[in-house]
Formats: sequence, C-alpha cells, structure tokens
Amino acid sequence: MSDRHVDQVADRVHTIVADVFRSLDHVLASVVACYRASGSFACADLAAVRPEIFDCLSRTHEVVAGAGVIMAPGVLADRRRWLEWWQAPPEQDPVFLNVDLDPDSLDYYDYTAAEWFAVPERTRRRHAVGPYVDYGGTDTYMLTFTVPAEVDGRFLGVVGADVRAARFEALLLGVLAASPTQITLVNGEDRVVATNSPRLPAGSLLPDPGSDRLPLPELPWSIVTGARRATVLSA
Amino acid sequence: MLDRVSQLPKAAVFAPVDDGSGRVEVVVRRLAEAIALGLIADGDQLPAELELANALKVSTVTLRAALAALRERGLVETRRGRGGGTFVLAPANPSTARLRRRLRELSTSELREIGDYRSAIAGTAARLAALRASADNVARLRQVLGRLDAATSVGDRRRADGRFHIEVAAAAQSVRLTRAEIDIQAEVGELLWLPYGEAVDPREVVRSHTQVIDAIEARDPARARALTEEHLDKGIERLMEFHWRLVASG
Repeated sequence: MSDRHVDQVADRVHTIVADVFRSLDHVLASVVACYRASGSFACADLAAVRPEIFDCLSRTHEVVAGAGVIMAPGVLADRRRWLEWWQAPPEQDPVFLNVDLDPDSLDYYDYTAAEWFAVPERTRRRHAVGPYVDYGGTDTYMLTFTVPAEVDGRFLGVVGADVRAARFEALLLGVLAASPTQITLVNGEDRVVATNSPRLPAGSLLPDPGSDRLPLPELPWSIVTGARRATVLSA
Repeated sequence: MLDRVSQLPKAAVFAPVDDGSGRVEVVVRRLAEAIALGLIADGDQLPAELELANALKVSTVTLRAALAALRERGLVETRRGRGGGTFVLAPANPSTARLRRRLRELSTSELREIGDYRSAIAGTAARLAALRASADNVARLRQVLGRLDAATSVGDRRRADGRFHIEVAAAAQSVRLTRAEIDIQAEVGELLWLPYGEAVDPREVVRSHTQVIDAIEARDPARARALTEEHLDKGIERLMEFHWRLVASG
C-alpha cells in the first residue's frame, strides 16, 4: 500500500482532524480554568468559555459547523444537564443551540447515552464519531469530535466540534477524485465517511472488509483501497 | 348521558369472547378499551358477575380474574354492600376526551393516509436500517425497547414506542426519514397509544419490535420491512375499528 493517492487522502484527513482537535484544546483549557476559578461552578460561569468557543468557530469556519462544551450531569450547581453549544451559520454570528433537555419529551436530547459523550467519559481519551444522524440536536448527518474535560480525575464533560458529513466529504473531494483506484475512508464500524465510489455513498456499511487497509493514527478510522475505478474523474 | 351511549357498541363490548386462548387477557382488553374509549362511562355499573360472564361466554373464574386485573389498573372499583357491584372508574383526562373527539372526526380515508405514510417512512427506515445499522445502533434499539417493556404508564409507553421508531430511522442513517418519523410521532403518536388506554397489549408491541430488531441485526432488509409494515397495518386497523365504534356511539 504505497499508493501516493492513499497517502494524500490520509494526510488530508490527518490535517483536517488535527486542526479541529487543536482548536478544541484551547476550549478545553478555558473550561478547566473556568472550573478551577469558580467556587460553585454554575451555568453562568460558562460565559467565560464563550470567547474560546467563538474563536474556535472562526478559526475553523471552513470545516466546523458547531462547537462547545457539554457538561456531565451534576457538575453544574444549577443545571443537571447543560449544553453550551454554538453553531456557526455561514456569514453569521454564532447561534446558541437550544435542545430539549426534558426527559419526558419525545424530542429529549439524551446526550449522556450518545457515543460522543459516553466514550470519552469511559476512556478519558479523545474520540471521533460518525457519520450519524444527530436527531434532537442539530438534525444533521454529522461527524463529532470530542475531548474529555477532567480536573483531578473528575470528569466534567466533553468539549467538542461538529463537522457536517457533507462538508467533510467536500473537503476530501479533490484528493479522492484524483485517484484512479477506489479509495474509501471508513470509521471504526466500517461505515463509509467518504469515498470515490458511487456504489458506496457516505453512511453505508462496507460490504466486505477489504484486504488493502491502512489504519489511520489517533483515529478509529481506516482507508480501504479497492479495485481500479472504471473512469477517473477529472484530476 | 348514559342513555346516549347507544346499545350498538355496548352490545359489541359485551359480545361473547370467542378467542380460545388467554381469555382473561381478552376480557381485560375488551373492557379496558371500552373504558378508555368512553363506551362505558365513568360511574357506570357493570352487569352482575354471572350475567356478564354469561354474556361474554367465559367462566366466572375467568371474569373474576379479569376484573381483578382491571381493579389493579384502577379502571374499575368494587363496592360492597347494598347498591354494591363493579363500577367503572374512567380517568378524568381531558386529553383523552380530545383524542376521542379527534379520532371520531377523522375520516377513514384520512386514517388510511396516515397509515400509508407511516408505512412508507417506517417500512423504508426498517429496510435501510437492516442494511446500515451498526452494532451500536442495534444495542440502542434494544435499550429503547427495554424502556418500553419496563414502562408502567401510557405516557411512558408512547414515548418509548415513538423513540423506537425514531431510532430505527436514525439507524437507517437518514436525517430525512428521522425527521419524518419525529413529525409522525408528534402528529399521531398519542392517537396510537392513548385511545386504547391500558388496553393495548404492550407485550405484543414489544414482541413485534423485537422481531424487527432481530431482522435488522440479521441484515434481513425484506423481513425488517415486512414485519414493520405488518405491525403498522395492525395499528391502523385498530384505529379504524375504534373510529367506527366512536361514530356508532354517537
């Protein structure tokens, strides 16, 4: 597997994801500082984190659709659950994401069960989820990148960023289209994140694991290379 | 008011129970449905045990077991002494009355439309979920179904059932189908559960949903779709049945 096209895709994915996580590190530092600075950590204290969230959104505006902090239940003194989550519509100021946190509601956003929350809580490591249907939240086919926030071993929640699945694919389009061979980026459950094969749209499951697989570092993702494509899209 | 409840639905309520198996359950369902639908009103006295057992063509033992189950659900109470007997305790729920009215006013073609649309959305979602669900999606479906199984109130059941259908659409990886399913649940979810009151057999729904999850896990799209459509068809048939009973009761 020394296909230069595969290497290009791997590099591009790495660059995009590393940028997102680097931006999140700033938000994370601000959450930790905010927690340490406040006696009884309350919802209003999170206002101090907002500038970092907005910075993150403007730094990554080509990629990230939303970012913020999601609190573990019981961490804030005045709210059992809380999302300090901001979305970045193009050419507009960030918009606060209002979700239904009432457990009795049909639209209840049960985020503690969501993989992007539960996995970093369990492993205390950064995580990439998706693509998945984020219903109750943004109602978008989404990729979510999260980092656990902890202080002295106490799990506070996660900081995270959303990237629309369609946007992520668009960012890889150039390198994917240039490849004469079939290249498919899959996540940990072999779900297609992006591909240059029309038979495997993003979101479908890879029908067979494939022999040519390149696992990507620091992500539960792999690049699977298939047979030569019939026609090469414009390079 | 009592007289306005025409004899037609009442006759149907008290018609012989001819289902050979699970007679207690059948009697419970028949009476609970009638109470939930307002066919037997709050405060109505049920016929004497012997008379009722004869009318339903079940033994008094079966009838007593059924009445005990209804008492446990708070749908009837038994008063002792002079003027005693078994009386209906219809929950004074304004939303039940509203839903009853709505179900009566819907035409059969509108009910059919709801069924057709649900079938198209949920059937396709089930088929695609069988092709695209991850192990995580399947685990999530089983978790939601567990919630339905453990639910003790109609509201909890309705929420868990709605959640189940929404999760199937999410497992299909389709934002549009998920959105459509959320809209369907908001529009007709309460209709699908409330009118039956406690009478809908939740175990039957859990059984049916379990089969759908099994088909999704087995990656059998045709079966997942067929089972889902069958389940939804049954649901809409019941709604139509109730609709007619409500129309008949005036």
